[in-house]
Amino acid sequence: MLQYSLRRILGMIPMLILISFVVFSLAKMMPGDPFGGEINPSNTDPKYIEEMRDKLGYNDPIYVQYWNWVKGVAQGDLGKSTTHKLPTLDIILERMPNTIFLALTSLLITYVFAFILGMYAGRKPYTLADNFIAGYNYFALAVPSFIAGIVGIYLFSFQLGWFPFSGSVEVGLKEGSWEFIQSRIHHVILPALILGLMSTAQYTQFLRNDIIENSRKDFVRTARAKGTKESKIYNVHILRNSMIPLITFLGFDLVTIISGSIITETIFTYPGIGKLFVDSVATRDYSVMMSLTMLFSILTLVGNLVADLLYGVADPRIRLD
Amino acid sequence: MMKKKSFLSLVSILLVLSLFLAACSGGSSSSSSGNKEGGETKTEGAKTDKPKDGGTITYGIDGAPEGLFEYALYGSAYDSQILEFINEGLFTYDKKLKIKSDLATWDVSGDKLTYTFKLKKGIKWHNGDPLTADDFKYTYETIADKDYTGPRYVNVEHIKGAQEYHDGKADSISGVEVVDPQTFKVTFKEVRVNNLDNLWPYPMPKKYYEGIAVKDLAESKQVRKEPIGVGPFKVKKVVASEYVQMERNDDYWKGKPHLDGVVVKVLDPSVSAGALKKGDVDIMDVRPADLGQVEKAENLDFLEGKSTSYSYIGLRFGHRDQKAGKNVDDYEKFKDLKLRQALLYAIDRKAMVKAFMNDKAVVSNTVIPSVFWIAADQKDLTKYKYSPEKAKKLLAEAGYKDKNNDGFVEDPNGKPFTISFGHYAGPANFEGRAKAIMQAWNDIGIKTKLATGSLVEFNLYNEMKDNDDKALEAFFGSWDTGSDPDPTGLWSSDAEWNYGRWVNKESDEMLKDGLSEKSFDDKYRKDVYVKWQKFFNEQLPALPLWENINIYAVNKRVKNVTLDPSTVVVDPEKWSVTE
Repeated sequence: MLQYSLRRILGMIPMLILISFVVFSLAKMMPGDPFGGEINPSNTDPKYIEEMRDKLGYNDPIYVQYWNWVKGVAQGDLGKSTTHKLPTLDIILERMPNTIFLALTSLLITYVFAFILGMYAGRKPYTLADNFIAGYNYFALAVPSFIAGIVGIYLFSFQLGWFPFSGSVEVGLKEGSWEFIQSRIHHVILPALILGLMSTAQYTQFLRNDIIENSRKDFVRTARAKGTKESKIYNVHILRNSMIPLITFLGFDLVTIISGSIITETIFTYPGIGKLFVDSVATRDYSVMMSLTMLFSILTLVGNLVADLLYGVADPRIRLD
Repeated sequence: MMKKKSFLSLVSILLVLSLFLAACSGGSSSSSSGNKEGGETKTEGAKTDKPKDGGTITYGIDGAPEGLFEYALYGSAYDSQILEFINEGLFTYDKKLKIKSDLATWDVSGDKLTYTFKLKKGIKWHNGDPLTADDFKYTYETIADKDYTGPRYVNVEHIKGAQEYHDGKADSISGVEVVDPQTFKVTFKEVRVNNLDNLWPYPMPKKYYEGIAVKDLAESKQVRKEPIGVGPFKVKKVVASEYVQMERNDDYWKGKPHLDGVVVKVLDPSVSAGALKKGDVDIMDVRPADLGQVEKAENLDFLEGKSTSYSYIGLRFGHRDQKAGKNVDDYEKFKDLKLRQALLYAIDRKAMVKAFMNDKAVVSNTVIPSVFWIAADQKDLTKYKYSPEKAKKLLAEAGYKDKNNDGFVEDPNGKPFTISFGHYAGPANFEGRAKAIMQAWNDIGIKTKLATGSLVEFNLYNEMKDNDDKALEAFFGSWDTGSDPDPTGLWSSDAEWNYGRWVNKESDEMLKDGLSEKSFDDKYRKDVYVKWQKFFNEQLPALPLWENINIYAVNKRVKNVTLDPSTVVVDPEKWSVTE
């Protein structure tokens, strides 16, 4: 397995170089630059903008710019954000905890719900409850998350007053105190519920279909014939087999944890990576934008690798050599 | 002055949000109660003679600050809204945008080149250090430093010796002289009436920033996490992109503020209406199109006032020779004055304001917002009141006639005549706005098509304007003028921001006169600018549309809030709450 992993990791290198090409060219092909919107005759003059463009190397030939960027990234220097005037790495690290916290909470909610719903629906397919679950899933899939977010805020924050509607923490609490932690959790619940409950569809329906399919297989019939308890058949024999396709999602979930959720973070003013990413595109903050895209790409590759390795763990029939 | 960053960049932020949230902000009612026909708008909130001390209010902003809490470094309008609570300048502006003294009083020398500033007594930084003349010397030297990263060099460049310091040829700026701890002199390179307007007014705390290299200032803890100033509130806690908590500055030189503190909180526009109604936010600006969602709320008062920003339709007269830094007059389409007039007569600006801005904008016929003391009285200007008949008549007079009976006019030579009109993308009502203008022109027989076929993404739009893209023959634009009334940077022949590339000697001469030595006399200066506005109004090198109105929702529990053309944060030390 170690050899396999190493081989895969080595294989990623040319892939990453290619990705860096694409990311860089797409970024530079976008019209405008960070100074495009900054035109106010009373406080910025054309000379300043020209000077800054020169300083930041936007006037260099494109291959020089690319080389400078790649050289920096390889040495761990992601560059400096033109919007925030801070090293890109600092900004990303600052937002990371919020995003990870929100993503893990929402993933947990998704997993728990999808598992319960999927197992129930798989065990009792074509019943009223199964149809109801499918109906809910597709409804949730169809509702855009900004609508769900707004409705959630309207109901639970404005009408019922159960949850705060913006920010990641109450104003003025001391970091690390018990109230601070409580407030963090209080603030994350609503966005996490909205993210988590709205994205159960693929997990639930995959699990359901796999359980139905597996329950018709020979090994299940054998188990039934041996007199194994029905609950054990489902919870142990079938479930383990039905989990394998879900592992594919796990790989993608790894990216989700980091990449954050653009819309939910925006509506809830929850400062995370998702919002940072959209803002950086809007303001042409090249270093932030390119670093994040590279990060997401790397994580997608790693996620796939992890998924492949986990196949081996979940299913002894799959060998990785 | 420099309080606001580009209105455009603020818009661009809103635009991006709206890409994702366009659907959320829908449903804003288009009916507006209480149409005020030229009536006075309310710029002052409820007053109280006996303000109670204590209480905290929440001030909402709809985008995240960049976190640069130092006037000399900030670039975003959101950061400036926080800075307004914590720091102040040598001078500020009254409601007519005339300079008035704040931290200092000053005398002007006989040759009008040297200004002697005398700091008022008892002004202290939040950390207890006194404000001194040295702080200002330090400020000017920092901004003129070659490692300085902010955009304000233009505000010290006109000081004598600043250029030499910037180029590393001098150890100090020769035009800045500290006389004693309370007094300093600034000498300018040449006599210009707006030397003071353009001088950087905000002090930097020299002692507090001691030991930080100029190039590291923007990243320093002192600027980002623990900023200080001399203003009525001091920063207690900064949580990036979420909120800034401020507390009362007991040593404030104008007297102790009434409020215990102010929290500036970032809110998404889609939830701001709900937050205002619920009382979670006490003060926040409201976009005209969103007014319908909140205007009936009983806990809110609305302050509104004309702003320093206006919208116009630019017309192309040429291109810019970037190398020479000159605008070249070489595009013939809009040469005919009658054609330009017809284009403006064709547009029902009043109806557009009503339909797209909830009636919260004022139709204008000049490019100097009426809040300025130099603004011409609209009565003295041609009004260009909507009249398609008149537009058609003007076209006919100019020789634009429909010769092949296709319903559209041809140019005087009989060739097909079309206008390519550009507009940037944004909230849903931009689409309607662009269509309305095109429809108006089509209705008088001028075939108008939308440049590129759709609204143009904002960054691309700016790039097209910069590069004089031929597709933008006519284009929608907005400017926020800031508080310096001089229109040279926008409309003089060689100005980079003169996107229509209108070259006109007569106008240049007037603009020059407005900055000349004679214009130190306010009356003379005003006359010059009124003359220029009449000229502009007659020539129509661009079609003025309307002036924008600022609207702020203020919770009724907050007293003594007033609005000036650029901000609602006017003397926040006087604010108080009732309970």
